[in-house]
Amino acid sequence: MSGGGPAKVRPIRPGGALTRERDVELWIVGLNHKSTPVELRELLAFEGHEIGEAARRVLQVPEVSEATVLSTCNRIEVMVVAARGAEVAGELARFLARERNLTEAAIADHRYVHRGKQAVRHLFRVASSLDSMIVGEPQILGQVKEQFGLAAQSGAAGSVLRRCFEKSFAVAKRVRSETGVAGKAVSVSSAAVELTRRIFDDLGDKTAMLLGAGKMGQLAARHLLQQGIASVIVSNRSFDRAVELARLFEGTPVPFERFPQYLHIADVVLGSVAGTGYIVGPSHLHEVLRARRQKPMFFIDLGVPRNFDPGINDLDNVYLYNIDDLVSVADDHRAEREREAMRGEAIVVEEADRFWQWFSGRDLTPTIVALRGKLDGIRRAELERAVATLARLEPADRQCLEAMTLAMVNKILHGPLSALKELAMQADGESAADAAHLLSRLFSLESDDEGEPGTEA
Amino acid sequence: MEAIALTLALVLYLVATVAGGLSLALEKTSTRVVTPVVLVAAFLLHAAAIGLRSVAVGNIAVTSFAEQVSFFAWLLVGIYLLAQTRYRLAVLEAVISPIAFIGALGSLVDHGAVRDLPPGLKSPWLPVHVTFVFLGNAVFGLAFFVSLIYLLQERQLKSRRIGSFARRLPSLETLDKINFRFLTWGFVSLTLGMLSGVLWAELSWGRLWSWDPLTFWTTVIWILYAILLHGRVTVGWGGRRAATLTIVGFGVLFVSFIGVNMLSPGRHAGSFG
Repeated sequence: MSGGGPAKVRPIRPGGALTRERDVELWIVGLNHKSTPVELRELLAFEGHEIGEAARRVLQVPEVSEATVLSTCNRIEVMVVAARGAEVAGELARFLARERNLTEAAIADHRYVHRGKQAVRHLFRVASSLDSMIVGEPQILGQVKEQFGLAAQSGAAGSVLRRCFEKSFAVAKRVRSETGVAGKAVSVSSAAVELTRRIFDDLGDKTAMLLGAGKMGQLAARHLLQQGIASVIVSNRSFDRAVELARLFEGTPVPFERFPQYLHIADVVLGSVAGTGYIVGPSHLHEVLRARRQKPMFFIDLGVPRNFDPGINDLDNVYLYNIDDLVSVADDHRAEREREAMRGEAIVVEEADRFWQWFSGRDLTPTIVALRGKLDGIRRAELERAVATLARLEPADRQCLEAMTLAMVNKILHGPLSALKELAMQADGESAADAAHLLSRLFSLESDDEGEPGTEA
Repeated sequence: MEAIALTLALVLYLVATVAGGLSLALEKTSTRVVTPVVLVAAFLLHAAAIGLRSVAVGNIAVTSFAEQVSFFAWLLVGIYLLAQTRYRLAVLEAVISPIAFIGALGSLVDHGAVRDLPPGLKSPWLPVHVTFVFLGNAVFGLAFFVSLIYLLQERQLKSRRIGSFARRLPSLETLDKINFRFLTWGFVSLTLGMLSGVLWAELSWGRLWSWDPLTFWTTVIWILYAILLHGRVTVGWGGRRAATLTIVGFGVLFVSFIGVNMLSPGRHAGSFG
């Protein structure tokens, strides 16, 4: 018996796995950035510390046995395990509204409902960041893990949801490693940083110079600091402002008239100055490059109108990008991300199908294996008992007995198993699941097995 | 035996070429691990082939043009594999592999009877001298490709069109560093090669130096690289200029190697038959 999956999980029974007595169903009710404006999402969102308790409160909805709450800047969703046949969607929507003193009508147009296999697929998509505003973003997985953990801790999430969520983490990992959906910049400042990495190997001994105090420039500077750049020089027409920003970045302020003298120290120069006219041109740079012994310089022009003379791009070892260039870099990546996202979607569909097969008991393998195992166990026990009582037994005779008992068991099983397999082929796997469950009860297969999709006992 | 080892090596170089090409074209991780393994295997087989031939000759097998090309190709692969342990140069595998294939192919095709070494060359100096010189050349060869990549990456960055291909290349700074390192090591190796040649000539024939086309061109190349190295260290010829000069330098090296071997005889390596 192979025990797949983490140790905390209860043993799975064959013929219906976690749909214990097959009387439960999965539901997701929620709102996301596609369906709902941010003003409404803000109202409905839950803080981190509220998640656990909120999930517990969901359990008060009739027929709900397990629940989780997911609240991020992109979505608010409730996922539950409910009794089969219970129509909990409406109640769950009301729950969300009530939590925030809103009327159900207020959210009615924005909420969506997923059920059964669709719910599984949605969960997998969300965890893999395929449903995020920025597809491929890395935060969502951590958020899902954390918030599931909170629901589990508070006792709201149980073994069924645990199995679903843990599978979703694995699927997310698979999507991230098998597709290129993550890891490509789609914002201007991260595009800028990515370009910096293509020029410079190690930012740890590089210096950036921030000219001006525009928001984009500050963002890029912050990004560079996060990526490990050694220091930032800040210069501004208003020296006070430069000092202020320098303090923010733990850098050095420089009076604006004197910044050209410091250019030779800067490897990355961010231009975020308002006002007209180029503040750096080719003539400035000849000396600077010589002083730098031709080490490359990267100029990022975030000003509109532009701060840097485009002619400097023609100089050897000088690279100049302005806002349009950065946007088109980010756009290129977006298109690529979308292509990769489609591959990710395909993975999610495949995994969801497979998971659903097993989860809903349509995967009969555990049952078949358990049944075979049980009968074979009986066969062997009886064979041993018989052999023990026989006075003398030639090996050939023993073999004959083996063969006979095996043949008997196989023939007995043949009919039922073929019938089971045929049932499984049918579109409505319900009867197969029913049959498997019945068999499992009739033959008392419950207690012996552990199974997981993909790890055959 | 030698032919078998060589043929196997050739097949593997071909496989590496295809796998390397696939790794470039698609972005599959699966092909990416195949090529280095295949290349190492090919490298070892190639080594065996050269080794066997050398045993048959009684000294290192580098007298005929084909043998030299094969030896050079082998060194190129070896240095590449060594460099790969340190730097992310996997893009080069699609280039190195076919070169190695062609280099080794010549040796297989030109598989004439093992030539007996002319008496003047039967010396332990031969492997020392030749290996150092060829090692230097091979390192310069690799530097040539690194410089090409540098220029490619640089052009992409300058033109502000970012292809996904170029993204997998090392950064400009890294490429430049690698280039410098190769330049240095190549130069050291070449110098040692020339010194050993001089010493050998002095000890064996009593003449320090004889001017023939190969020594002439090697000197020219040595001076070229010396200038490049000097320029890098003192004035700071980095980046684009260094890359261009490295390419030019190797171009000269390559042409002179072929030219000398095809055209003129002399005491020196090249055409002994």
